[in-house]
Amino acid sequence: MRRWAPWLALTVVVAVALVIGTTDRDEPTEAERVQAIARTVACPACDGQSVASSDAPAAANLRADIERRVAAGQGAEEIRAAYAARFGDHILLNPPRTGAAGLVWVIPVAAVVAAGAALAVAFRRWRREW
Amino acid sequence: MRSRAALISAAVLGVLAAGFVFVLSTAEPATTRKADSPLLGKLAPPLVGADYDILDSAGQWVLVNFFATWCTPCIAEHDDLVAFSNAHALAGDAQVVSVVFSDDPDNVLAFFAENGGDWPIVLDGDGRIATDWGVARVPESYLVAPNGEVRAKIIGGIEVGKLEQLLAEAKATS
Amino acid sequence: MRAALGTAGVTLGLAGAVLGLLTIAAGLARNRLDLQRRGVASVWVVLAGAVVAAVAMEWALLSHDFSLQYVAQNHSLATPFVYTVASLWAALEGSIILWCLVLAGYAAAVVHRFRHQRDDRLVAWAVLALLAVCVFFFALMLGPANPFRTISPVPADGPGPNPLLQNHPLMAIHPPFLYLGYVGFTVPFAFAVAALVTGRLDEGWLSVTRRWTVIAWGCLTVGILLGAWWSYEVLGWGGFWAWDPVENASLLPWLTGTAYIHSVMVQERRGMLRVWNLSLLLATFSLTILGTFLTRSGVLDSVHSFTESPIGPWLLAFFGAVVATCLGLIGWRGDLLRAPGRIDSPLSREGAFLANNVLFAAFAFVVLLGTVFPLLIEAVNDDRISVGEPYFNRMVTPVALALLFLMAVAPALPWRKASTELLRTRLQWPAWGGAAALVVAVLVGARGLSPLLAFALGGFAGVAALRQLGLAARAARRAGRSPLRAITGRTNGGMVVHLGVVIVAVAFAAASSYSTSVKLRLEEGETRSVSGHEVTYLGVEQYRVGDRRVVKARVQVDGGRIYEPALTQFPNATQTIGTPSVAWGFREDVYLTLAASPEREGGPAIIGVIIEPLVSWLWIGGGIMAAGTALSVVPGAPRRRATDPAPAGDDLVAAGR
Repeated sequence: MRRWAPWLALTVVVAVALVIGTTDRDEPTEAERVQAIARTVACPACDGQSVASSDAPAAANLRADIERRVAAGQGAEEIRAAYAARFGDHILLNPPRTGAAGLVWVIPVAAVVAAGAALAVAFRRWRREW
Repeated sequence: MRSRAALISAAVLGVLAAGFVFVLSTAEPATTRKADSPLLGKLAPPLVGADYDILDSAGQWVLVNFFATWCTPCIAEHDDLVAFSNAHALAGDAQVVSVVFSDDPDNVLAFFAENGGDWPIVLDGDGRIATDWGVARVPESYLVAPNGEVRAKIIGGIEVGKLEQLLAEAKATS
Repeated sequence: MRAALGTAGVTLGLAGAVLGLLTIAAGLARNRLDLQRRGVASVWVVLAGAVVAAVAMEWALLSHDFSLQYVAQNHSLATPFVYTVASLWAALEGSIILWCLVLAGYAAAVVHRFRHQRDDRLVAWAVLALLAVCVFFFALMLGPANPFRTISPVPADGPGPNPLLQNHPLMAIHPPFLYLGYVGFTVPFAFAVAALVTGRLDEGWLSVTRRWTVIAWGCLTVGILLGAWWSYEVLGWGGFWAWDPVENASLLPWLTGTAYIHSVMVQERRGMLRVWNLSLLLATFSLTILGTFLTRSGVLDSVHSFTESPIGPWLLAFFGAVVATCLGLIGWRGDLLRAPGRIDSPLSREGAFLANNVLFAAFAFVVLLGTVFPLLIEAVNDDRISVGEPYFNRMVTPVALALLFLMAVAPALPWRKASTELLRTRLQWPAWGGAAALVVAVLVGARGLSPLLAFALGGFAGVAALRQLGLAARAARRAGRSPLRAITGRTNGGMVVHLGVVIVAVAFAAASSYSTSVKLRLEEGETRSVSGHEVTYLGVEQYRVGDRRVVKARVQVDGGRIYEPALTQFPNATQTIGTPSVAWGFREDVYLTLAASPEREGGPAIIGVIIEPLVSWLWIGGGIMAAGTALSVVPGAPRRRATDPAPAGDDLVAAGR
């Protein structure tokens, strides 16, 4: 048991640091909320850049609009839905979670789970063969 | 047994790859995919300027044209807009409205003084109108039916001939 | 004249490749060694053709020969020398010349390297595969991507390269490295095909191609990081990686290549995973072609695709042919690929490599799926959606963290089977390193689960790599060898690469999680404080360079050096192009842009300020990765032969414990 004492101490240190690091944080300011939303909205005039990272006029308009909407108390989902209704779904950099498009979230997770399961089966078979 | 496993997985992957290649071969270029808009078939968003309100244009077709004087294709399409506006001024069946996109009002006034065009101009200082209409880049135009429904979106410069054709088609289906 | 010379070069290259291919095929079919030799030697003709074509194009660019369409479209009299030379790869047609030059160079290097084995059927098949790829790319230059098309009337001047491609010298070196990497994977691909065709799937060819793969991988790594650096220095939004399709296209072969470099060690040591390793090599090459298609055909939006061209269908057809060939060969030879042996325990070096491969495959799969998914969904139900940065970040972060964890644990694992006792002692210091990194990060104010985990696991993996290097140094000293031996060779060079990866990962997590971005409206002489940095706007300068109008702001940072972010108005460009200016530091960069120049003389300007921590460590880490790659191809200490029985904890490094 004594041999594991350093590892126990290590676990405690890591756990405490992680708890502090994930809970002791300021509420996001309005500017940070705007920035966070802007990162998920595609700049309509550019190729694949977000509104947060583009200086195109349309992106500047949208940034200003997000600021107005956040100041008016709208939530992130509400704002994104409003843009999708005007520009189309492709204005959202996060693909929808429902419908056929939701597959883009499901397929990789399913593939990793399947690969993990296949590996587990392989190890069991190897153990039994010998 | 084992060899068949390799063969089968290769075949399955082959089918998937063939489907993938097929999809890629039929994909349109990204640039042509952009001409649709969720506004089509819906009521036009508000468009209100100092002395203009699109609601007052009921009974007329309205071409809502987003533009800026710094944009080369906007300058190029201006003569076509003038021609279109003049052609329909007498009949009174269609009208042009220009919405200024990210530009200085003085530049716009000077531009219209120099190049003609006497239709309403709506300033959009904070870009709200453009955002409401879902404008990505100028020039971009929307054809709005007399009942206030958005019927077509035109990306890039207007050509008067194509615009007339579009209007005729829209009229025929309404 | 130059056009004729260039066309002659392309024709020579194509003819050499076609004739060589046919001659080798005939030689192989009829068992005629003389034909086989002659065919293999034709590689030199192909190389000569590529060199002539490249020289002709450079000559045309440097002598302002606007009768060539390519020169007329991508060059101007005012283009500076460096960018004129680099204009060879500023647009599609020219970059195909570069591709052919690199490909022919690799093919010739293969022939030279294996000149003593030129009668070997496997080498002949590999050269044949290389020549087949050459035929395709040279044919592109005679067909849809002809760089030597002439125009008339001949214009007096041209517009110059795309403005974004002529304002940073990194553009002169980033594409060549990328191509050295991309094209370099053709060599292991050719040997994989040759091994499958000849049925010689024993381990001989593996050690032959491993070093080629590592070199290509190193060049691709450097190319990708230089591209990120270029984005950072040029695009003006302070970002260096945006999961853009072009970036993803370069990352995909890097991921499968990285997986191969690791899993090939299992095959060398244990003779297992043959199908898998072959598939990784074939997939890596196929992905380079697919990536080129995605970025050059215009089917996907990208900030980096500077051309749209008619070569899309050609590349797609070639991709289809390559995939069909690969799958056909694997299906046909599946029986020979059955691997003897097994893996005793998941808690072993080979178990870790397996996990590594599952993770890298998942990584590549997510990137590929996310990149092409909008196309797939549109084909299925006509919906138009985007898959952007937030998606990739969310999906890739867990995979990347798991890879960091493996990087920490795997080097300490022995082959076959590890005991907890062994791990407890070997992992103790690395684990404390991770805890220390975590505590320091929390103390300096870092918050949020993913970045903190990245720092902790980074510390863990970093100390693990240092521990391995320390053990190697001790082993070298005991054996009386030069201490340099502690960092050369595959194992030790690999650990140096790991150190670089850790630095890049930590810098990436810090820079993308903790940047502050503001736009300041500043009067002349006004100072504002941003996250502890004093930013003073001193005024603007306006001037003309050739046909461009430049507005340059003078901005002082922390009362010290003056930086000059600028806005440039190019003729025929509707928007101005910003040139950011970066006050770099080891702790953080102050990234300055001129967002809007003053509307009236002496009026306020809008200065964009982004504070990004640790960005410079991305480039330092990249340099360490490159150095590590170079060290790993230098022969290290002699290794035990792969067929020898391997006791637990047997490797050179562990022997020093």
